[in-house]
Amino acid sequence: MSINVQNLVKRYGQVTVVQGISFQVAKGEFLSLLGPSGCGKTTTLRCIAGLENADGGVIKIGDGVVSAPEQGVLIPPHERQIGMVFQSYAIWPHMSVAQNVGFPLAIRKASTAEVARQVDDALGIVGMRHLKDRHPSQLSGGQQQRVALARAIVGRPKVLLFDEPLSNLDAKLREGTRLEIRRLQRELGVAAVYVTHDQEEALSMSDRVIVMEAGRIMQTGTPKDLYRRPSNRFVADFVGRASFIDVQKGPDANTWIAPDGTPIRLDSGRAEAAAHYQAMLRPEAIDLIAAGPEGMRPNGANVLKGRVYDSQYMGAHTEYLVNAAGTTLKVHSTQDFGPGSDVLVSFDPVDCHLVAVEDQAAKAA
Amino acid sequence: MTDKAIVPAASEFATHYAQRRSSQDRLLHGVYAATFVVVVLLVTIPIAALIYGSLRTSAPGNPGEWTLRNYAGLFTEGVLATMGTTLWIGLVSSAFCIVVGTAIALVVHRTDFKYGKFVNAAVGLAFYFPSFILAMAWIIIGAPGGIYNAVVDGILGMPWARADIYTALGIVFVMVLHQVPFVYLTMSGPIVSMDAIYEEAARTSGAKPHVVLYRVTLPLLSYSLISSFILTFIITIEQFAIPALIGIPGQVTMLATQLYLLVRFSPADYGLAAAVGLALSAITGTAIWAQRRVTRAGRLTTITGKAGRVAPIPLGGWKWAAYALCFGFVFLGLVLPMVMLIYTSLLKWFTANPFAGMYTLRNYAFIWESASALRSFWNTLVVSGIGAAIGVVLGLLCAYFTLRLKPKGYRALDLVASLPFGVPGVVLGLGLLWAYAYLPIPLYGTLAVIIVAFVTRFLPYATETIGGQLVQIDKSLEEAAWVGGATRLQSVFKVLLPLARPSVQSAYFLLFMAFFREISSAILLYSASTQVISISIWAFFEQANWGLASSLSVVATLIIFAAMSLITWLVPTARRR
Repeated sequence: MSINVQNLVKRYGQVTVVQGISFQVAKGEFLSLLGPSGCGKTTTLRCIAGLENADGGVIKIGDGVVSAPEQGVLIPPHERQIGMVFQSYAIWPHMSVAQNVGFPLAIRKASTAEVARQVDDALGIVGMRHLKDRHPSQLSGGQQQRVALARAIVGRPKVLLFDEPLSNLDAKLREGTRLEIRRLQRELGVAAVYVTHDQEEALSMSDRVIVMEAGRIMQTGTPKDLYRRPSNRFVADFVGRASFIDVQKGPDANTWIAPDGTPIRLDSGRAEAAAHYQAMLRPEAIDLIAAGPEGMRPNGANVLKGRVYDSQYMGAHTEYLVNAAGTTLKVHSTQDFGPGSDVLVSFDPVDCHLVAVEDQAAKAA
Repeated sequence: MTDKAIVPAASEFATHYAQRRSSQDRLLHGVYAATFVVVVLLVTIPIAALIYGSLRTSAPGNPGEWTLRNYAGLFTEGVLATMGTTLWIGLVSSAFCIVVGTAIALVVHRTDFKYGKFVNAAVGLAFYFPSFILAMAWIIIGAPGGIYNAVVDGILGMPWARADIYTALGIVFVMVLHQVPFVYLTMSGPIVSMDAIYEEAARTSGAKPHVVLYRVTLPLLSYSLISSFILTFIITIEQFAIPALIGIPGQVTMLATQLYLLVRFSPADYGLAAAVGLALSAITGTAIWAQRRVTRAGRLTTITGKAGRVAPIPLGGWKWAAYALCFGFVFLGLVLPMVMLIYTSLLKWFTANPFAGMYTLRNYAFIWESASALRSFWNTLVVSGIGAAIGVVLGLLCAYFTLRLKPKGYRALDLVASLPFGVPGVVLGLGLLWAYAYLPIPLYGTLAVIIVAFVTRFLPYATETIGGQLVQIDKSLEEAAWVGGATRLQSVFKVLLPLARPSVQSAYFLLFMAFFREISSAILLYSASTQVISISIWAFFEQANWGLASSLSVVATLIIFAAMSLITWLVPTARRR
């Protein structure tokens, strides 16, 4: 079933933490809410689950309205038929694995045999059937995570909700579990909402990502969209690594002027209207060339003079901080340059995007 | 889909929804309302009655007039002197308690002291040793005709070493013996759970173990120390049995005993007693407010959840000082008083010379044969068993509503439920005495009024014990149950209660023990048929029947210790309190 959120508003006292956001999640779609802590993503998820009472707007799960405070509708969570995985797993320590997973069925008065069968199924799906009589204290973090997953899917929920479920796992386990969660959700074919502050997680798992900040949606799009064509500076900065060059309007729509007067050709397609603009560059989209004879420059690319002032060796590549065009650019390169080297910085106009800057962000930068 | 399309669907849905409004919701709100009313009545009736009484010229139930003379009476020389005595005894006793209790806690938990487990258990026992029994034992030892003086003067021939327990210093001495276990227990928690990282950082910076203690450990514990000091001060000035047993013969009056004297001995002055009670409550209330401020400020600083294992500090040459401190306390606070009580209970007539004594078991036989003694045991069991159950249920409800459900007005419930902390037992008893003279319910002179008094007095302990665990149960555990299809009530019974069970058990244990030992709030409320053990012992002792008082005390103490070991064995978590 789908999820439909319209003008959702949530206030805590004087503070409005979710400021009238709207989005839909189609059946079978995996949607991530991505943003820094305090952006309202978890609150949004908890409003969908019914763990928080929304203050305004309408939430529908499938065809049923579950939250419409203006109409006096606030369906309690136990009637929403959702599956949810919590950040802390919330595995009940006084119940065995099987009792934990069987809870959503037992509480809905399923027969013992039916509970046992479905618990076996669900535990089989997450590969935990052999541990069903264990107690949570005897499980590792990763195993608890799987129990939480099994419990979330066992009642055949209409939708799956995830509240930063991987943040307590170590890096290796996290990657495996990402694939697993995605596989499960595809098999069940339900709508899933996944809350995370980890952009890598959001990009790698989602069909679509919503980037949130201060209770508002900054941008919605596919992972590739967000990474390649962010529509504002916040999204560009939060999703992936990026460098920014302050730019002023130039002679034509696709040519803008850097602070030191260098013209920069770029792609201005997506930028929202704003008072200030910056040119955004991903570090891997920039080539570094040792300052050398003319003619080595690729055709059509922007080429700026720069100087390496610091570097960090990362293994697969080296991240250089290069002073160019009156600002500092992050560049990933497999070549070696010493500090102080004069270099040429080159990038394709297609890879350089104009982004809108809110006043606040401009000051911070 | 736009707003317009889904809003009509929502309003259509609203009608269905309204009909389905869960009946469980209503049940939960009904229980909340009932809890609220019961708690408010329990707490406000005695306080309101006390305020009323303090403004009347007559005894409860008699016709009288409105007056302010009782408050004027607070500023007479006698009452002011009593206040002064109360404050200095309170401060001096608390200071000694903090030093001794913290020192024992540090020796046991932070050094290579070998008998830590034994001392820990012994101090735990001493905590449950009733104050009035301790005071009696020390009177038997230290009265002018007591054992100590008989030994130093009569046997050793050292008349200059004579001592008299019936003095202010005697009160301080017994008070310290009684209160040290409390300090030990309140300080052990912070000392054990303090994150070892701070001390390790100091050690790697080159500080020697004892320097770490003075420069890092103790300063980090300062909030706990201040908080523990204030709490000790409060229980010292509201302590009734010790100043009554020692102070009344010695004519050293503290506020709690002054109140008792005003009510029990003619010319009785109930109005002035009420005013004295309110003054005492004002002092304890202020102290509690200060203590809350301190703990709130301190919560941010030192203690993390991680219990650290620091290498113990070697005692070295201080070993003997540590032995003297720990074993000395156990001897004076527990062993010696017990031995003296057993000795006295076996004597036909009291004598300080054990070789001249005529030994008998008739004091124990008397307990069997005396209907009133048996009845007081039975009463105590009823009051402790049933009363503690009532108290725990109320405490559980208060904790659940104020910490979990948080319905409208829960802050008021929280405040009211914590008020009895600030009301000394004897003051509460007086309040009820005033109240039941006017209330239409015939409660006075029944066991029920004693249960009401005890439940009211110890409600905050139940709420705190259970609440302390409730806040530690991650909220998402309950939310996961809701999401999984459980209603609020179902999640309470399936998740919250099973997880909170240890705290419910230890709260029951705590209240049972407290009710078993409680004397101060019952002393003004009992009648011949509603005596509890503590009152019976008290009465025998006042009749100078030391033998009977001692045999009853020995039996009561054994029951307390047996119950304590039984419950610690059954519920390991109860040990924490």
